[in-house]
Amino acid sequence: MTLLQVQGATRRFGGLIAVDNVSMDVAAGEIVGVIGPNGAGKTTLFNLISGFTPLSGGEIRFDGARIDGEKTFAIARKGVGRTFQNLRIFPNMSLFDNVSVGAIGMLGAGPLSSLRRDTKVATEIAERTWTALERVDLAREAHTLAANLSYGKRKYLEIARALAMAPKLLILDEPAAGLNDSETHTLAAFIRDLHAGGMTVLLVEHNMALVMSICRRVVVLASGRKIADGAPDAVRADPLVLESYLGVEEEA
Amino acid sequence: MSDRFRARLIAIGFLALVFVAAPAALTAFGKSYYWQVADLALIFALLAGSMHLVTGVAGLLQLGHAAFYGVGAYAAALLATKAGLSLAFTLPLAGLSAATIAVLVALPTMRLVSIYFAVATLAIGQMLYLIMLNWVEVTKGPNGIMLFSGMKFAGLDLSRPLPTYLVVAATVCVSLFVLHRLSHSYYGNALRALREDDQCADAMGVDTVRLKIEAFGVSGFFAGVAGALWAHTAGFISPPDFSFQTSILILAMVVVGGLGSLPGAVLGAFILILLPEALRPFGDFRNIAVGVVLFASILFVPKGLIGEVSALDFARRQLAGAWRRDGAGAEIGWR
Repeated sequence: MTLLQVQGATRRFGGLIAVDNVSMDVAAGEIVGVIGPNGAGKTTLFNLISGFTPLSGGEIRFDGARIDGEKTFAIARKGVGRTFQNLRIFPNMSLFDNVSVGAIGMLGAGPLSSLRRDTKVATEIAERTWTALERVDLAREAHTLAANLSYGKRKYLEIARALAMAPKLLILDEPAAGLNDSETHTLAAFIRDLHAGGMTVLLVEHNMALVMSICRRVVVLASGRKIADGAPDAVRADPLVLESYLGVEEEA
Repeated sequence: MSDRFRARLIAIGFLALVFVAAPAALTAFGKSYYWQVADLALIFALLAGSMHLVTGVAGLLQLGHAAFYGVGAYAAALLATKAGLSLAFTLPLAGLSAATIAVLVALPTMRLVSIYFAVATLAIGQMLYLIMLNWVEVTKGPNGIMLFSGMKFAGLDLSRPLPTYLVVAATVCVSLFVLHRLSHSYYGNALRALREDDQCADAMGVDTVRLKIEAFGVSGFFAGVAGALWAHTAGFISPPDFSFQTSILILAMVVVGGLGSLPGAVLGAFILILLPEALRPFGDFRNIAVGVVLFASILFVPKGLIGEVSALDFARRQLAGAWRRDGAGAEIGWR
């Protein structure tokens, strides 16, 4: 079953075409990597999907319904959870409070439920929050401020916050950026584990080894266009990819 | 001593101070002037508490809070003098008028961020202030409005100092309790997420625009209630009570107490109202002394006298029930 369907997505910024007529699908339960050199339009594509940036053309469907043109929070509530390339945690909130926001947004804990002390909603939020914190092994530090967390752990905090949303699709924007080799290795195992647990994952990543090791399918973008889409081995052998991306990477 | 027991003790202690110790002391020593100071301290505790929700928790720098206080005061004064309504009606109606104007004002401004939002609230505050000053047919302009009716509730005359004080104290305590429930709940967490990174909160499914408008409306409501209390206790209101200076005074209370901390806001209000009174014997030097206290508190305790972290910890663990999971299992949520 196709969960996410991007058709002819285009985004212009003035004269620049950041994403040019890109089409791609993600099936439920799949783990797909999006790679490409800097400025290829990967993050813009993610921003189009999560509604941060409006499309200039094309359409995006999620779970059968069009989501382009919807507000960001409405798209999130349909089940699109994401993390950010440049870590965006809530620094002056505890880890518990950080992660709870994911559940609060999805369950819509309004002012009246907090006035009445609606135990049902509160319990559900708390359960989801603890489960997500335990999933990333941060439950013991739940009441420390996020600002006091190490860089590596902040990555997991961000993922936990997205997991508390119980998303149908988890979008990870460069999760391994800034991590060393052994940390990247642990993260890869973690993502593989999430996927094995049934999570559909869409991942943008610079770290080729990581993408190739955990993704069954890889989409390659260059200058806003999709130039390849297939199994890691096929993509790796694709001359177009070698030229525009892997070649550049090796020179650097 | 368990946390919850200590919590009860602190809550009971606070209520005993407000409802027993303070009135007893005021009855024993009180000139009627001291009663007015006590009323004013409580009214400003509510003003600071209501600004805390918008500025401290939701992170929207509000520079026109006194205008909503004024809207409530004028609404109550007009309803009492023109329509002869008693306190039971003027209090909620004043709150609703201020909330309505706050929401109307919020609708177009909520997409503004940080300093732009602050300047917009400044402009709105000035606009409302100028309306109070210049719409003479209704507000009587600079002459202000006298309330001869006094405080009445269900046929009881509440205009003597003690009953007046008790009405103010009860209204303020109930209002602060509502603000406590809002800011120390999961709803409060959503508001804090706006302050920390509203785009990111948006991506978590939080309807940020709606939340900001709600917070602004609730904050306006309680500022309006405070205004009604002021109109009824002072018996006379005029535009200078609701000027930019008052907005800044409320902001100072919130910051001195600790941004994001409700107990801090209340403490800040008590300090900034009571300190100038306590220093009255020093004549004009007292204003300098107040300035020094403000400056020193920002310099030495920038997070406030009761910072957000400790306030949250205290309020949740001890007043709102267990947020911590203990060894026994899932001890979370309200309870």
